[in-house]
Amino acid sequence: MIEFDRVSFSYGNRFVLNDLSFSVHENERVAILGGSGDGKTTILKLIIGLLRPDSGKILIDGEDITEKTEDELRDIRIKFSMVFQDGALFDSLSVKENVAFPLREYTGMTEEEIDRKATELLRRVGLEQAVGHMPEELSGGMHRRVAIMRSMAAFEPKMFLYDEATTGLDPVSADVICKLILDISGQGGGFIIVTHKIFDAFRLANRFMFLKGGGIIFDGGRETLLGSTIPEIRIFLRELNVNHNG
Amino acid sequence: METLQKRIKELIGNLQDFYLLSYQGGAGMLRRPFYFRDMIEQMDYAGSGSLVIIVLISLFIGMALSLQLSAELSRLGMKMYTGKIVGISIIREIGPVLTGLVFAGRVGSGMASELGSMVLGHQVDTLRVFGVDPVKKLVTPRILSAILMLPVLTIIGDCVSLLGAYYIAVFVSHQSGTFFWSSIRDILIYENVLAGSIKPFIFGSLIACISCYMGLSTKGGAIGLRRTTTRAVVVSFIAIIVADFILTRVLLYVLGFSV
Repeated sequence: MIEFDRVSFSYGNRFVLNDLSFSVHENERVAILGGSGDGKTTILKLIIGLLRPDSGKILIDGEDITEKTEDELRDIRIKFSMVFQDGALFDSLSVKENVAFPLREYTGMTEEEIDRKATELLRRVGLEQAVGHMPEELSGGMHRRVAIMRSMAAFEPKMFLYDEATTGLDPVSADVICKLILDISGQGGGFIIVTHKIFDAFRLANRFMFLKGGGIIFDGGRETLLGSTIPEIRIFLRELNVNHNG
Repeated sequence: METLQKRIKELIGNLQDFYLLSYQGGAGMLRRPFYFRDMIEQMDYAGSGSLVIIVLISLFIGMALSLQLSAELSRLGMKMYTGKIVGISIIREIGPVLTGLVFAGRVGSGMASELGSMVLGHQVDTLRVFGVDPVKKLVTPRILSAILMLPVLTIIGDCVSLLGAYYIAVFVSHQSGTFFWSSIRDILIYENVLAGSIKPFIFGSLIACISCYMGLSTKGGAIGLRRTTTRAVVVSFIAIIVADFILTRVLLYVLGFSV
């Protein structure tokens, strides 16, 4: 479904991705690991055309999206459901209005139907009591839950993209988010999650990519990752031991 | 030399982006979908939210101007011209510029910081992911609301300034109230009213375009947001003053005033 072909990207003079190539299939559960500033979020933004690569091709279902206009990208973007770090809820809208936003933009539903669907989605994540709340009144975990529901409100995406879905959350909230992600992917549809929390990545994914210095220094399954001798990966794996021992 | 070249290139690039955003924001008024709800919200924020401060500032400026002129003109024995001079100054010049500056300080800074925080919080990216054009959704309603509300606020500000000037002229400087108002009526001719009413439309569009551009190009966290807001206000102030001079020159020429 997603194919990166020698993709390079830089922010001004700072090279982030260098000749990156990989492909991901529709039902895969992929975790992209790496340190801050190594280009994890950039990869997600490139997939949905929010950023354009300096060179290389990005193919979505065999279609090169690198030269597409914003209008043409609309058809590509509805194949994905993207959840940004911190949820990116609209501050000026209530929780229900946030979930209703894509329904209003994409569907011809009546106000009554939109209201019913938004409430139903929020009930699914235990937030039916918070429908009238503003985003500033929610905790970090609630933010993410609303954002996940909003991202899948209007259409059925083929794949989910999660940007640091559990970062900054307490263990209980992180657990709730992980369960929600697994629950959603259990109904079909793979996902890519970028994270630096290896413990959560292990709970969720079955393929792991490790970014370093603009390239992928590891791409493989759980057992291979655990046996890796790459120093950067070993540092990440220490978190697993801490969690396990704890 | 290399740094200078880089800066010039950057400036040209920024100007290009600014014109493009202003064009797309303006063109958005003619293309579907129309975000009426957003426009009404913005009009409420820009209009009723700024009313009190504009009334207050206009009142005191009108009173101060009347005081200054009364004092100076009475020395020359021409106190009766206070109404006329105050009226022309307020309607043609001070009213539109003052209201524009206050609008830029309050509404322009608000627009820049709101859009800036939306950029930093990935809310603008979220709009794009949902297939919503951020320029149409965020910039067009703000340009429209500024173009519609600034003239209204200017008229209100002008009226309040004149009331303040009247109060000082009549109750402090002991001039004839009837003569004051008849002087004002005399200067309410087509040329003066046109000169005073074109400016707010131009100032409004300038403030909204500059503030939206600054807001949408925010980078670098809280410090970046602070920089964006400050820049939006400073650039809007400069743009208003420069545009005011150019408009005054053009309008005087077009309306047949000799300088």
